[in-house]
Amino acid sequence: MSSPFEDVLASLIRHRGVLGCLVVGEADGLVVDANVQVGVPEHVVAALAAALYRRARLASQAAGLGQVTFLQLEAEGGHICAVGREGLVIVTLAEPRAHIGLIRGAMLASVEALT
Amino acid sequence: MRTHVAEPWVEVPLQHFVDDARVLFALLLHPNGQVLGQFGFTRAVDVMAACALAAGIHASAGQLGRELDGKPFRELYHSGRERQIFIGEVRTPRDGLIFLTAFGDDSSLGLVRVFFAALSTRIAAAVPARPAGAPLQSESLEQDLAHSLAVLFGKVPPAGDAGGSSSTRS
Repeated sequence: MSSPFEDVLASLIRHRGVLGCLVVGEADGLVVDANVQVGVPEHVVAALAAALYRRARLASQAAGLGQVTFLQLEAEGGHICAVGREGLVIVTLAEPRAHIGLIRGAMLASVEALT
Repeated sequence: MRTHVAEPWVEVPLQHFVDDARVLFALLLHPNGQVLGQFGFTRAVDVMAACALAAGIHASAGQLGRELDGKPFRELYHSGRERQIFIGEVRTPRDGLIFLTAFGDDSSLGLVRVFFAALSTRIAAAVPARPAGAPLQSESLEQDLAHSLAVLFGKVPPAGDAGGSSSTRS
């Protein structure tokens, strides 16, 4: 069964170094749709990344900084990026070699699909 | 706040779950309603009521699942206005156990399911083999339930604790 996010996820996964991308419910942390490489624990990544995004959004609001536009976590083994809208979050998991600038642009363009 | 346990091997897995999932209440029990550990409850009567309800819900859901799907439902979730409840079955080499947790906005169903899986793995690894010659006795069930509650709230030391200290931490 296809979802309305299939095209968005298909365009993100094509970027070099992207290991997976997911649309996740921000409140429940459950996967709405995902396109991930074999071995990526999508349910675990989804739950934790949604919680991270939610905390960042609340922190940004509390600090008077307004809405979170783009969240990037840089780790030893790669990146987790997230953008959100209307209670949904697009999460992208990428290798260190990935071009984060291109991924960021694609994710910000894709956020329009989260309606 | 710390977890309170009736059996020492429950403490580490349950505390890990509570710390990671940031839930409001957590309860691990035997399907007969006997409590093994809890977090968040302050009164024995509340633990007793929650255990009875959780055991009943689990048994009903299991039978409903068998009727509808040919196998028991192993996880149940209910979303309230402010709090949500998750009930799941923890499989161990010895027994199936029931786990109930309630959580609010600090957590999510996704997080609870992730850390419930980790809890199940830890519990399965920690559960001791049943002592030889000590099967569950239906005639002593009520006494066992009362004893577990008393241990949980520090009124009596756990079985085999010669020094009289309690495994309950606060």
